[in-house]
Amino acid sequence: MTDRLSILVPIRVLEGESVPEGVPELLAHAHVVLLGYHVIPEQTAPGQARMQFEDRATERLDEYEEMFEDAGATVERRLVFTHNGQKTIDRMIAEHNCMAVLVPNATGPVEDVLVPVRGAIGVDRLARVVASVFGDMDADVTLYHVADEDTTDDDIQTLLGGMADRLAEFGMDPSTIETRIDRDQNPLDAIVDVADAFDTVVMGETDPSLATFVFGMPADQLANRFLGPVFVVQRERAEEDE
Amino acid sequence: MVDQPVDVDAVGENIAGEAPADEPEAVTDDAVVHDDNVELERTIGLVGGLAIGIGTMIGAGIFVFPGLAAANAGLAATLSFAIGGLIALLVALPTSELATAMPRSGGGYYFISRGMGTAYGAIVGLGLWLGLMFASAFYLVGLGHYASAVFAELSIALPFSPVIGIGLLFGAALTALSIGGTENTAKIQNVVVGILLVVLTGFLSYGVLDAVGVFGGGTVPEQFFSRGYFPVLTTAALVFTSYLGFAQVATVAGEIKQPGRNLPLAMVGSVLIVTVFYVVTIFVATSAFGAERLGEFGETAMVEVARDFLGLPGAVAILGAGLLATFSSANASILSASRAVYALSRDALLPRKASEINLRYGTPHVALLSAGGPILVLVATGRVELLAEVASFLHLIMYGLMCIALLVLRRRNPEWYSPSYRVPGYPVVPAVGALASFGLIVFMQPASIAIGVVVMLVSYLWYRYYAGDVTLKGDI
Repeated sequence: MTDRLSILVPIRVLEGESVPEGVPELLAHAHVVLLGYHVIPEQTAPGQARMQFEDRATERLDEYEEMFEDAGATVERRLVFTHNGQKTIDRMIAEHNCMAVLVPNATGPVEDVLVPVRGAIGVDRLARVVASVFGDMDADVTLYHVADEDTTDDDIQTLLGGMADRLAEFGMDPSTIETRIDRDQNPLDAIVDVADAFDTVVMGETDPSLATFVFGMPADQLANRFLGPVFVVQRERAEEDE
Repeated sequence: MVDQPVDVDAVGENIAGEAPADEPEAVTDDAVVHDDNVELERTIGLVGGLAIGIGTMIGAGIFVFPGLAAANAGLAATLSFAIGGLIALLVALPTSELATAMPRSGGGYYFISRGMGTAYGAIVGLGLWLGLMFASAFYLVGLGHYASAVFAELSIALPFSPVIGIGLLFGAALTALSIGGTENTAKIQNVVVGILLVVLTGFLSYGVLDAVGVFGGGTVPEQFFSRGYFPVLTTAALVFTSYLGFAQVATVAGEIKQPGRNLPLAMVGSVLIVTVFYVVTIFVATSAFGAERLGEFGETAMVEVARDFLGLPGAVAILGAGLLATFSSANASILSASRAVYALSRDALLPRKASEINLRYGTPHVALLSAGGPILVLVATGRVELLAEVASFLHLIMYGLMCIALLVLRRRNPEWYSPSYRVPGYPVVPAVGALASFGLIVFMQPASIAIGVVVMLVSYLWYRYYAGDVTLKGDI
């Protein structure tokens, strides 16, 4: 129980978003940070929204908390009224030291997990999330890499092999781990195509750059195109100076 | 993260049996925390805070008052603006301390009700709400003047003066927009303020160079106190409306990130910036034409000044800037008025219904309408100077009482009062700030003072009738 990882589950609690089917079971082995948030326009004071909506929001969160606990997760919850949902999510990630954020979409029982591995950076965190969430589940994990022309097979083997070793170190059964490689494709399109055959996707967050600024984070784009739940593993954040 | 406990208990019930909403447990750099892990996120940064302050203020001082002020006080109107700025600064410093100690929504109303009790709080809170309506109406009439000047520029002759009609139209449009609009208004406000500052800096730099004779124009030589000394003070009282914006930063204190740092910077910073702009503007304007001619141009005098310097393009630029500035000031004031209604209704001084949120748009339609409706009535009067002075009167009462609240809190030094910013020069600065605020009122027109006193009286009676049992004072 001690090394449960914190996974943030943000829910727009008053806009009809609820905990989709299969998600509580998916997080049975995690420490769920359940964030109910409500985004309000700037004309409205957050306190004003609280006076009117707190009871209803709390009622729903009670319900969701119970669903997660029944499935076996430990739960911590927050309810936030905000003008800026992203700022709130980022703050929760930092305050609760969340390893990953779940984009909650419905799923059946999880049998196949797709783990796109982009590069060596962040592999450790990615492996920890996969091992701790799916380690005790009866699920097959597929490590997936979309290589460009310059990458040799050896490089890829080192990358995916290293990842598989890491998963084994964290206690996963090596026989449940497969690897898959594609070449010369747009990585995002390739991941979206392949993901169709899987129940859920675990992928790393990308460092912000001009491309992510213009097109959005690949993880967010995937979440929009893939119908199942997506774990976005957070990159290591610099210790915030107090 | 600074975790600041809040230990103020609001108790009692109003006539409708509503009790004040519970106070939060703590305020942090990023949120206001209520019990049971319910939080209110802070989302406005320093730039946003400055934009609220400057955006609210700059519309009036530069685009409406120069002609009126010059007509009243001559070249010495420069001094009137400087006096106004000084008083604003003397109040902004104590306000900063109070705001860092109590970074909650409601601003001056909150500080005074917690520091001095419900009666003072009610007078200030209801006065603030009404004062903001007078201020919005004033900006809207100014907007009407600018829009009319556009018609004049296009040589469209209208058989009637369109000033009030346009003011009403924009007032109604703004109210509707704040109720139904989901656009990112804060970002737009930041951009508008940025554009205004750039346009004004360019225009004023040219004007100053011209005034000192670089372009051969030279100053119209004039006696500084051409109208005597007394008008300097009456004019200072009139133009003080140009300095009401910094307190609007405090009305959203609950939403400012890192309030201990950003609140003082935003309030004091915005006062300093607009003071410099105002003084330079009046200097440039009076140098270009002399106070006499400037006064004849009335509300849109700056357009003529720009035309004199830069021809038609200058006039068009200032017309556009004037429209933007008065519009943004009116908008900011309506939003602040709605925040004031929320703060009062949270504390059961107004019906809870008043801060109800519209399910479709998520906006407080009752509060916005209760600001927007009366504004239209005030706009219809079209009395620029009266509107401005009543707005100033009601704010000055609040300013004076805020300074007194600070003195009271410092003397009693209750456990919950731990501001992270402390006013320099205590107790002189807040004491002088209070005296100056109340002192300035004396120089207003009798009609403005009468209306202001009636508003205060009605506010007090409303409190006695509606919420006489509500206690908001902190434990001091």
